[in-house]
Amino acid sequence: MKDYFILQLTMANRKMKEARMNPAVCYFLMLVLFILFGEYIFQKTAFAKYLVIFTCMSLQIQLSEKNRTEFLLSTFGDKTKNKLRIIENLIICIPFCIILIYKNQFLEASILLLVSIVFAFLKLQDVLNITLSTPFSKNLFEFSVGFRKTFFIFPIAYTLTIIAIKVDNLNLGIFSFLLIFLTTMGFYSKPENEYYVWIYKSNAMQFLKNKLLSASKNVTLLVSPIIITLLLYFTSEFQLVLIFFIAGMLFQWTIILAKYSVYPQEMNLIEGIIIALSFYFPPLLLAIIPFFYKKSIKKLKVILND
Amino acid sequence: MIKINGLTKSFGKNEILKNINMQFSRGAIYGIVGENGAGKTTLFRCIAGLESYNGEIVSDLIPLKNNLGLLLTEPFFFSKITGKEYIRLLCNARGKSELEIENKNIFDLPLNQYASTYSTGMKKKLAITAILLQENEYFILDEPFNGVDIHSNIILSEIILKLKELKKVVLISSHVFSTLNDICDEIHLLRKGEPIKSVLKTEFKSLEHEMKAVTIGNRIEKLNFR
Repeated sequence: MKDYFILQLTMANRKMKEARMNPAVCYFLMLVLFILFGEYIFQKTAFAKYLVIFTCMSLQIQLSEKNRTEFLLSTFGDKTKNKLRIIENLIICIPFCIILIYKNQFLEASILLLVSIVFAFLKLQDVLNITLSTPFSKNLFEFSVGFRKTFFIFPIAYTLTIIAIKVDNLNLGIFSFLLIFLTTMGFYSKPENEYYVWIYKSNAMQFLKNKLLSASKNVTLLVSPIIITLLLYFTSEFQLVLIFFIAGMLFQWTIILAKYSVYPQEMNLIEGIIIALSFYFPPLLLAIIPFFYKKSIKKLKVILND
Repeated sequence: MIKINGLTKSFGKNEILKNINMQFSRGAIYGIVGENGAGKTTLFRCIAGLESYNGEIVSDLIPLKNNLGLLLTEPFFFSKITGKEYIRLLCNARGKSELEIENKNIFDLPLNQYASTYSTGMKKKLAITAILLQENEYFILDEPFNGVDIHSNIILSEIILKLKELKKVVLISSHVFSTLNDICDEIHLLRKGEPIKSVLKTEFKSLEHEMKAVTIGNRIEKLNFR
């Protein structure tokens, strides 16, 4: 079991070295960013605790992927696999629990701890081998694939909007559509196999334009029921709703451009820091978007033979 | 036409392809053979523009990649994409939008199911269907017969012959010599990244014997079977 975790650490360090970063510096920066970001969201929103729990659970769910779970089971056997998975989930949940405890959210911290242990026994089957219809099937792959993986988020977001109307809380309403933006940003977090870029006949500029337009259209389709509802019920504060919508859209573009700016590599700490800075100070997006765009064009030109 | 002049490819200090000179004409089927690691897939990736290289690759249609149907040895599929969506994605990427996918489902694939649930052979058939519907002028088929059932292999062989009739350029690699023997017009043998020889149909038998002799050598005797 010890060897397994040493191997995980070696693999993580290898990724950082490949990105030409010192692992010790990376871990330190990640810790600092984590603390700063945690502090920031608790200052800015009343729903920070839910965001912390949601982020932690999303990370843990990724470790419960079917093939991964089956590999651990066949390699280590049932008992050791369960131990491994519990330790993995605890390693992920501890920093999140510390933040919650620091912010006096003891109940939430205990629930998160319990859920983390329960999640260790989860195997994300392809329940879901039944084909889910999506309104995005005729578009690029990101939304049809992403929607099917995260379909449960959308009813949650729409329910939150209804609650926001009932309790007359605009912040909750805004959070509900930002939750959708956060989810759809996740659709672009990993680079696709290079074959799926290579197949395109378009040049780098057209390729990016197509990606940005398609994402904008699809995410608008998903958030529009919430936006329209909020505009109807909180008419006097329509500016705030629109500002958050525009910000959400700009962040969506930023993530897409950040992904292709290092393509076919995965986004690493540098892109993470830049994005985190823009979350902290959104006007930075005006510089960051063109920066990522130029880098993306350069990377895509190679694969598209442009 | 695709013409390769003095192509070399290295990964670090390791030279994978050495001075490749080949020409592929329209209306002909070319086989590329060689042991594992001989450089076949790297050569295909260079032609497709997926790898950088030294030397020159020219084609009568420019850019080559926009007219190329590339079948990878192990096609990659997203976990939640249906067969139909995959075909549509590949065709849309080449500007083809008026598709009659259901009518052209020649391998009778369950196109409304997720491609990730397909068997190895079905995945390959799906990838082949998609590149055929892209209406390409050049085709690179890396191990197209692997994992595909015998009935579909018969259909696939006929499709490849039809592509030849339509004056397309077709490059195939296969570990099964007999399939190449039946459909290819010329075979190029690669060994450790070097083009050893190119032979026309009339010499295929002697090439097969030569490959057998080199490959088997005295390996079987070494086992000292009793």
